[in-house]
Amino acid sequence: MPELLSPALVYVVAAILLPFIPQGLPRQITMLAVPFLGVAVFWDLSYGTYGSLNLMGMHVGLMRIDALSYIFGLIFSLAAFLAAIYAWHLRDTVQQVGALLYIGSAIGAVFAADLVTLFVFWEGTAIASVFLIWARRTEGSYATGMRYLIVQIGSGLLLLAGIILLYLETGSIAFNRMELGSLATWAIFLAFGIKCAFPLLHNWLQDAYPAATVTGAVILSAFTTKLAVYALARGFPGTEMLIYIGAVMTLFPIFYAVIENDLRRVLAYSLNNQLGFMVVGIGIGTPLALNGTAAHAFCHILYKALLFMSVGAVLFRTGTAKGSELGGLYKTMPWTMVFCVVGAASISAFPLFSGFISKSLILSASADEGHYIVWLILLFASAGVFHHSGIKIPYFAFFAHDSGKRPKEAPLHMLIAMGLTAALCIGIGVYPAPLYALLPYDVDYQPYTTAHVITQLQLLFFSALAFAVLMKTGIYPPELRSTNLDTDWTYRRLLPAAIGKLQNAVVGTWRFGVRLTEARLDRLLTGVYRAHGPQGALARTWPTGSMVLWIAVLLGVTLLLTYM
Amino acid sequence: MTGHSDGSKDDPKAFSWLSRHLLWVDNPRYVDRLVWGLAVVCLALASADFAYHKHSYFPIEDIPGFYGFYGFVMCAALVISAKGLRVLLKRGEDYYAPNTVEAEEHPEFDLDREKFDA
Repeated sequence: MPELLSPALVYVVAAILLPFIPQGLPRQITMLAVPFLGVAVFWDLSYGTYGSLNLMGMHVGLMRIDALSYIFGLIFSLAAFLAAIYAWHLRDTVQQVGALLYIGSAIGAVFAADLVTLFVFWEGTAIASVFLIWARRTEGSYATGMRYLIVQIGSGLLLLAGIILLYLETGSIAFNRMELGSLATWAIFLAFGIKCAFPLLHNWLQDAYPAATVTGAVILSAFTTKLAVYALARGFPGTEMLIYIGAVMTLFPIFYAVIENDLRRVLAYSLNNQLGFMVVGIGIGTPLALNGTAAHAFCHILYKALLFMSVGAVLFRTGTAKGSELGGLYKTMPWTMVFCVVGAASISAFPLFSGFISKSLILSASADEGHYIVWLILLFASAGVFHHSGIKIPYFAFFAHDSGKRPKEAPLHMLIAMGLTAALCIGIGVYPAPLYALLPYDVDYQPYTTAHVITQLQLLFFSALAFAVLMKTGIYPPELRSTNLDTDWTYRRLLPAAIGKLQNAVVGTWRFGVRLTEARLDRLLTGVYRAHGPQGALARTWPTGSMVLWIAVLLGVTLLLTYM
Repeated sequence: MTGHSDGSKDDPKAFSWLSRHLLWVDNPRYVDRLVWGLAVVCLALASADFAYHKHSYFPIEDIPGFYGFYGFVMCAALVISAKGLRVLLKRGEDYYAPNTVEAEEHPEFDLDREKFDA
């Protein structure tokens, strides 16, 4: 049994036991304790693969511990702990069990040494996480959850197809570095890409996260996409295409984020943008770049959770997270505002905040490798993310025009969760050495050089100035209640419309065919009827006399013909 | 909507210490000063480029204040083009209704609406 012990098992057992633990303090303590128990399983283990067994001739490894899986396992556990504090008030068994299974699956997937184990947990994250959306229990969230589930399960099936093909090809299911080329690796790549929200495959993210519950969105923001980043970093480091995919990912969501009204959706767009940085790092694939990806994922999980927590607290108190309905909340929710600003400064990579010490690794790596255009795009995306996440979120929620709303400050447990997360964001930013020590490669990197600090401050302050000028001149687009069309339009409107048209065409053709054959059949039947019907020529009863007459005529003709 | 006119009976003394020290942000005069202050900081940061040696990867980095001007121009371009995109992409909140959460209220059981009590 100890051979099979894995952090995932801890979460699964807790999820099974949880409904029998009474709500209130016992259950709250359990939720807080589970992440610690999970970490305790792998905390002390030396690098290697544990829980190996042979399953139908395939070599399965439940727990592979190396530098890459270790740092992801650690940050996932930390996020689980912070989310448990944030969700202290929750009395919803569905969400609690869903969250435990979801987080357990994500951690299990990170430690998976083979692709079959990865697949099982990959699907686990999909199925468990949808309950955090359905827990809202409205018609809209049900439909959104369904869309989310279809995309996530689709990613899983693609992964399974890829694994089967790969097994047929190589006879191994080990999860190691792969080369793009065969159908198998492309399927796996695409499966990772869907979960990582690659451009055009991204929209499930912005669709689903704002539909989750207050606490659900915080939990969702941490795991699914970062699991995909981990899988890409493990399977496809140094794949050049990822550099360009990542660059596009950093770029286009920021345009949407500027015009989006729902602040949780703005965060989902900026999440996508941040994933782009990590994907670029994987694509570059040098030790510095991969370190950057791991470090950025670590910091990102914290500051993104912090931002979702603060906007969630606003939603919790006011009933809305829409920019057009909010404003002026700093008066009565000052602490939430402060924590939001810390998250905003971290995602914007202000010096002394966590984003600065992780993002600069990726930017430096791209410059090192001479990717001029990509570097310019990343620089633009950095300014852009400051613009919409750094300024827009705190500004429209807590300042801007006074909405007249005077909600009470967030409850204590939320403030504690946000305070701890904010402290971590600042702590990592000020003293990055412990984080750097956790990174997969030994790289000596110094983020705080004069040039780095000055250039970054220039970028940020001038961007802030641009915001101020656009605000003052009234050019800045106001927050409006609206829906913005994204790629989901293709499957929510275009495809159904096209299928509707196709259906009409098929039905029309069928009806026309039926009408045509019916007319023919009618004519045929009337013909038959005319001949064979009661009045038909062939059905008439003829008098015996005329019969005799006709026979006589027939005989006469025969006689005549014989004598001729 | 609840809480819409709460602001009319504001008693600043009831606000927390932190909030009371931020009330100036609602005064347009101070906001103008803030913007000018920001401009001064920007100018200082741009001129700081003359004061140290930068190890540059690309020639464009050697232009003094490049990062600042790039940030300013690109941000302005970002906002203006996003505003243009809105013309193409903006639809009503109930565009996808009822299969969207956009048009529905957040359910009360997931919230704890409470007003600030002075």
